[in-house]
Amino acid sequence: MATVQVSEAEKVYILHGIRDDLRVDGRGCEDYRHMETETDVVSNTDGSAKVTLGHTAVLVGIKAEIRKPRPMLPDEGYLEFFVDCSANATPEFEGRGGEELGTELSNTLYKVFNNKHSVDLKSLCISAGEHCWVLYVDVLLLQCDGNLYDAISIAIKAALFNTKIPRVHISTDDEGGKEIELSDDPFDCMRLNVENVPCIVTLCKVGHRHVVDATLQEKACSVASLIISVTHKGTVTCLRKVGGGSLDPESIFEMTEAGKRVGKALHTPLMNLLKQEESLGKTRQKVGFLG
Amino acid sequence: ITRWWRQINTVGCCYFQGSRSCRLLTSTVIMLKSKTFVKKTRSGGVLKIVREHYLRDDIWCGSEVCTECKQESTVLQRDTCIESNLCAYPHYLIPDTNVVLHQIDVLEDPVIRNVIILQTVLQEVRHRSAPVYKRIKDIIHEKEKHFYTFTNEHHRETFIEREPGESANDRNDRAIRVAATWYTQHLKTSESAADGLKVVLLTNDQGNKQKAAESGLLVFKCEEYIKSLIANPELVDRLALTNDEKNEITSSKVLFPEHLPLSRIQAGIKSGSFLQGTFRASRDNYLEATVFVPGEGEDSTEVLLQGLQNLNRAVHQDVVAVQLLPRDHWVAPSSVVLQDEGMAKDENPEEEEEEKAVSVKPTGKVVGIIKRNWRPFCGMLNVSQIKESTRHLFTPADRRIPRIRIETRQASTLAGQRIMVAIDGWPKDSRYPNGHFVRSLGGAGEKDTEEEVLLLEHDVPHQAFSQAVLSFLPKMPWAITPEDMKQRQDLRQLTVCSVDPPGCTDIDDALHCRELDNGNLEVGVHIADVSHFIRPGNALDKEAANRGTTVYLCGKRIDMVPELLSSNLCSLRSNVERLAFSCIWEMNHEAEILKTWFTKSIINSKASLTYAEAQMRIDDTTMNDDITKSLRGLNKLAKILKRRRIENGALTLSSLEVRFHIDSETHDPIDLQTKELMETNSMVEEFMLLANISVAQKIYDEFSECALLRKHPAPPPSNYDILIKAAKSKNVAIHTDSAKALADSLDMATVDSFPYFNTLLRILATRCMMQAVYFCSGMDSDFHHYGLASPIYTHFTSPIRRYSDIIVHRLLAVAIGADSTYPDLMDKHKQSALCNNLNYRHKMAQYAQRASVAFHTQLFFKTRGVLNEEGFVLFVRKNAIIVLIPKFGMEGTVFFDSKDKTAPNLVFDEEGPTLTVEQHTFHIFDKVKVTISLDASNIQHQKIRMALIDPVISGVSVPAEDLEPQSKKSKLDR
Repeated sequence: MATVQVSEAEKVYILHGIRDDLRVDGRGCEDYRHMETETDVVSNTDGSAKVTLGHTAVLVGIKAEIRKPRPMLPDEGYLEFFVDCSANATPEFEGRGGEELGTELSNTLYKVFNNKHSVDLKSLCISAGEHCWVLYVDVLLLQCDGNLYDAISIAIKAALFNTKIPRVHISTDDEGGKEIELSDDPFDCMRLNVENVPCIVTLCKVGHRHVVDATLQEKACSVASLIISVTHKGTVTCLRKVGGGSLDPESIFEMTEAGKRVGKALHTPLMNLLKQEESLGKTRQKVGFLG
Repeated sequence: ITRWWRQINTVGCCYFQGSRSCRLLTSTVIMLKSKTFVKKTRSGGVLKIVREHYLRDDIWCGSEVCTECKQESTVLQRDTCIESNLCAYPHYLIPDTNVVLHQIDVLEDPVIRNVIILQTVLQEVRHRSAPVYKRIKDIIHEKEKHFYTFTNEHHRETFIEREPGESANDRNDRAIRVAATWYTQHLKTSESAADGLKVVLLTNDQGNKQKAAESGLLVFKCEEYIKSLIANPELVDRLALTNDEKNEITSSKVLFPEHLPLSRIQAGIKSGSFLQGTFRASRDNYLEATVFVPGEGEDSTEVLLQGLQNLNRAVHQDVVAVQLLPRDHWVAPSSVVLQDEGMAKDENPEEEEEEKAVSVKPTGKVVGIIKRNWRPFCGMLNVSQIKESTRHLFTPADRRIPRIRIETRQASTLAGQRIMVAIDGWPKDSRYPNGHFVRSLGGAGEKDTEEEVLLLEHDVPHQAFSQAVLSFLPKMPWAITPEDMKQRQDLRQLTVCSVDPPGCTDIDDALHCRELDNGNLEVGVHIADVSHFIRPGNALDKEAANRGTTVYLCGKRIDMVPELLSSNLCSLRSNVERLAFSCIWEMNHEAEILKTWFTKSIINSKASLTYAEAQMRIDDTTMNDDITKSLRGLNKLAKILKRRRIENGALTLSSLEVRFHIDSETHDPIDLQTKELMETNSMVEEFMLLANISVAQKIYDEFSECALLRKHPAPPPSNYDILIKAAKSKNVAIHTDSAKALADSLDMATVDSFPYFNTLLRILATRCMMQAVYFCSGMDSDFHHYGLASPIYTHFTSPIRRYSDIIVHRLLAVAIGADSTYPDLMDKHKQSALCNNLNYRHKMAQYAQRASVAFHTQLFFKTRGVLNEEGFVLFVRKNAIIVLIPKFGMEGTVFFDSKDKTAPNLVFDEEGPTLTVEQHTFHIFDKVKVTISLDASNIQHQKIRMALIDPVISGVSVPAEDLEPQSKKSKLDR
C-alpha cells in the first residue's frame, strides 16, 4: 500500500504530539478527519455510496442478483464482497499490484459481516432453497490517504442503506412450478435495515497511545494497529490486529474500549445524515463520484 | 457479475466531452436524466437497466402560426379547415395511444389532417402493434396529411418522470395530458393567438378524459368527435367499435367461454398443461380447425378443435393456447363439408378427401389467445334483410375467416363491391366478431379490383414506394464515377450479352464467353450490382427486405425495388455502362472449372436478346460475329454442364407454365398457351446454377456461420406413394431411393403408345417434392439441394427481384474485400429471421401468381364461353377425378356426386388408385374429354367448371353439345 517516508525527526514530532493529544493536523487522538458521504451516485447499481475521508476516496456499489441460496442456509441470502484497488488510487495498484490488498480487505469484510446481526439475511430469501437475493458489494478505491477500513465500512453502510431491491412475487401454478414475477413499478422496492451494520474503527498504536483515522505519516510511525468493527449498540463483531509489531494485552483492552466508544459515536450522525439525504428526494443536488 | 465500475471512467469522459461538444454545436441547454427500469432476464435473473435521457429546449411545435419557435419548416397548417359542430374554432388533434391503435382507419382518411402525434403515443403504438405503427409512420411521412410528431419525451417542459405508485399507463396518459396542456399554453402565448387555434385531445378512456377536462383541456371521445364532422358523415363507418357499443349490439347471452389472462396462459404453457400453436381454420368446415404446435424437429403436432365453443373465437392464423381434452373425448376429423349458412361448396377438394381416416386425433379446446393476427380482410357485404338496418354481415373471400358484423349506412352502395373490413373484437356473447368498414376496392369481378384482392389476400406489399424509400435512390442523371471505377475491374471491352424472355425490363444477368490465349475458355456471369445501390439499413433496404421478392402476375409486376433501379440503373441493358458483380471461370473445353474468381466490375452489354433471338443466332450458320461466337461457346459448355449435372442425379421435373396473349387495349386475355422451352433457356439456366453453386461455396467457406444458402430437402419416402402407384398402373417401375435413381427411372419411363406419359409422370413427381427454402448456414446442418443434386446452393443471380440475392451479394463482397460488413449481416439469428420472411414472401408470391393465372383463365373462359377439351386424369379421389388439360396447362376437378341429385354408384380402390363410376373405371393417366365453362353463380368465388363428356357414363357424363353442364365444380392450380 501507499507508504510515505518519514524522517526520524518527523517521527519524534508526531509521537510527541500524540502523547499530548495533539496531532499534526490539529486533531485529538479520537477525532476523525473531515468526512463526506453521498449515496445514489452510480445509477446502474442497486445501491451506491461514495465516502471521502481526508483524501481517501471510496466508491461502493451494490448489485442485487437472484441466485440459489447456500445449501447450509437455505432460507438466507448472502453478501459477496469484492475490493477493486484501482490504479487511479495509486500507481502501485497498476496491473495486479492491488490484488493482494484487495483480497485482504475483502477477507476482512467477510469476517466483519459473518454474523447474524449485521444484515437481516433472512429478508433476502425469496423462496427457501431455490431463490435468494445475493448482494454483490463492490468496493472501488479511488484514492488512498490512509484509514481505508473505516472509509470502506462507512461507504458500505451508506450503500446498503441506499440499496433498493426490486420486489418480486413468487407465483405458483397448478403443477407447483414456481415463477418469479417482477413488479412493473420501478418504485416498488425492498429496503434493507442497516441499523445493525457495523462500522470499522482502526486504531493505530503510536508510541504509548493510540489514534483513530491515522494519516499515512502517523501510520508510518505505528508498529501495529487494531481493527474493530462495532455496531451502533457497541457490540464488537470482529477484531483484528494488523502490522508487524506486538501489542500488550492491556493496551488491546484499552484500544477496544476506545474503539467501541468511537464506533458508537460514529453511527448516530451517519444514520441522521443518510436519512436527511434520503428525505431530500429528487430535489437533492447530486455531486456524483466525479465531483 | 457485471463489473459496473469498469465503465465508469469511459462513461465519465464521454459525458464531459459529449455534453461539451453538444453545447458548442447547438448552443441549447441539454439536461441529462437517466431512465431506469428493471427487467427480468431469460435465465430468471433481474436486471437493472439505466438509459441516459437527454432533454432539450430546441424542440419546436411545428405549427405555422407559431412565431416563437425557431423552426425551419412547419407541418401543421394555420387554416385547419375541418368542419366540426363540436369545435367551431380551428384546432389541432392530439389522439391518445388507444385512439391511434384502434381508429387508425379513421386517421388514414384524407379528411383528417393537422394532427399532433406525441412521441409517447408513437412509442406505445410501436410497442403494441407493429402494423399500426407502420401505418401511422406512413401517414406521418405523407405531406398532405400534416401530421406532426412532437418529441415530447425529450422536450424539457413536457418530459415527466414516473411517480411512485403510478403505473406505466397512467404515466403515459399523464405525459399526453402534459403535452396537450403545453400546446394549449404555447399556442395561446404565441403572437398570432388571434387565430384562435386550439388543441383537442381525443381519448376514449373515461378516466383520462375526466382528468384532462379537469386540467382545462378540450377533450372529446373519438366517436363524439368523428360524429361531429358534419361534412363527412361517411367517416363514421370507419370507426372501430368500442366496448360500450358492442354491448348494445349483442344479446346478453354468453356464447363463448372466457379467455384466460395472458399470465395464466404463460404459466400453463410453461407447465405443459396448455399448448401454444397457430390456429388454422378449416376451409371446408367452419366448426373445425387445427392448431399446429411446433416442436423440436419432427415433434410438431396438430391438435384438432371441433365446435364453436372449443374454437372459442379464435380466427385463422391467431396464436392460441389450447388445452387437450381427455383422451376419451378425442375425435376424428369430420369429412363433412360445412359452410356457415349453406354457402356454395368449396373449391378445394383435396383436403376434404385426403384424410378420411377413422383414427382419432388429439383434440382440444382454445383457452386463450396469445396473439391476434387480424389484418383487414377482403370480401363482400351480405346486405341485411331489414331495409333500414345499418348492421350487416360481411363474408370474407378467405373461407377460413368467419363472417364479420359491421355497421354501415352505405350498404346499398357497397353491395356488389369488394370491400375491406377490419375486425375490432369478438365479445364472448356475440356469434360473430365485430368489425368496421375500411375501404372499398371496387366492383367485384373487375380486373383491377380482383388483382388488388389477390395481392391483399396473399399479403403482398404492393403500395407505391414511400418518399422515404425513394429518397435513397441515386440522383439522376446517374453516371459511373471515377470512385466506382477504382474498386472495379473494367470489363467493358468484353462481348457481354443478355438472354431473357421477351419484354423483360429487369435484366439482372448477362454472360460472356471467350477463348483465352492458352486455348481455355473464359466464361463470365455478370449480375447486376444491386447491393451497390441498396445500402444496408436504410429505408430502401428495409422495404426491399420486407417485400423479399418481386411478384409477377399476368400482365403486371410488383417490384421489390423502385423502378429506377429495377428497369434502369440495375438492368443490364445493351450498350450502356452498368455496374456488375461478376463471377468468372476459366474452363477447358470439357467444361471443367480450372479457376474461379469473383469481382465487382463495369460491363457494357453488347446485346439484349430474347431466348428465340439467341437461338436463331446460334442456329444461323451464316452469322459469325463476336456475340454469336460467344453464344455458341456458352451453348456448347452448357450442354456438357447439363449432361454432367443430370449424371449426378439432378432432376428434370415438369410443370406446365401458361402464357396469356393479352389484348393490348382491353388487357383481357385473348389466348393462352403453355410456355415452350428452348435450348437457350437451359443455356442461361445452366450458367446461373453454376454461378450460384460457386458463390454458395465461396460464402460458406468464408462465413460458415452466417452464409445465406438455399436447400431443398429430400422428400419423405411416403410422398412418392402416389407416383409409384400411378407408374405401376402403366407397368413402369419408379425407384425413389435417391435423386439419381428417380431421375434415371423417370428417363426410362415411357409408354410407346402414349407420348405424353413421361411429362405427366414428371408433373406428378413435382407434386411429391418439398419446398426449397432459404436458411442461414449457422442454424442448420443439412445443406443438400435435392432437386439440383448439389451439396450446396444459394441464390446469387437475380438481385433485382430477390432480396436473398442482395444479401448473398453483400456476403460475397465482404468475402472478396470489395465492401465493408455490418453487424446484422454477421448475426445468424437476424439472418434466420430474414430467411423466414423471405420464405414466406416467396410462398405467398407463388400463390398470388397462381391465383392471378387462375383469374386470367377465368377471364379467358368468360370471353370464350364453353370449350370442349381433351385431358388426362392426374389424380383419382373418392368422389372425383382431377383432370389436367395440357393445352391450357390447367387442371380441374370433375365431381361425381353433387348435392342436388343422387350420387352414382362410386367404388374407390385406394390401391390402384382407381374409381369406378357405375360401369366405368378411371385410372390415373386415362384420357378423358371434358367441357370447360365459367361458373359465375357465386360472384365472390367464380370458378372454372368441368364436366365429363367422354367416356360416356349414363347419368354422369354430359353430351358434348349440351353446353349447360350439371352442378360441377373445378379447381385451378397452375
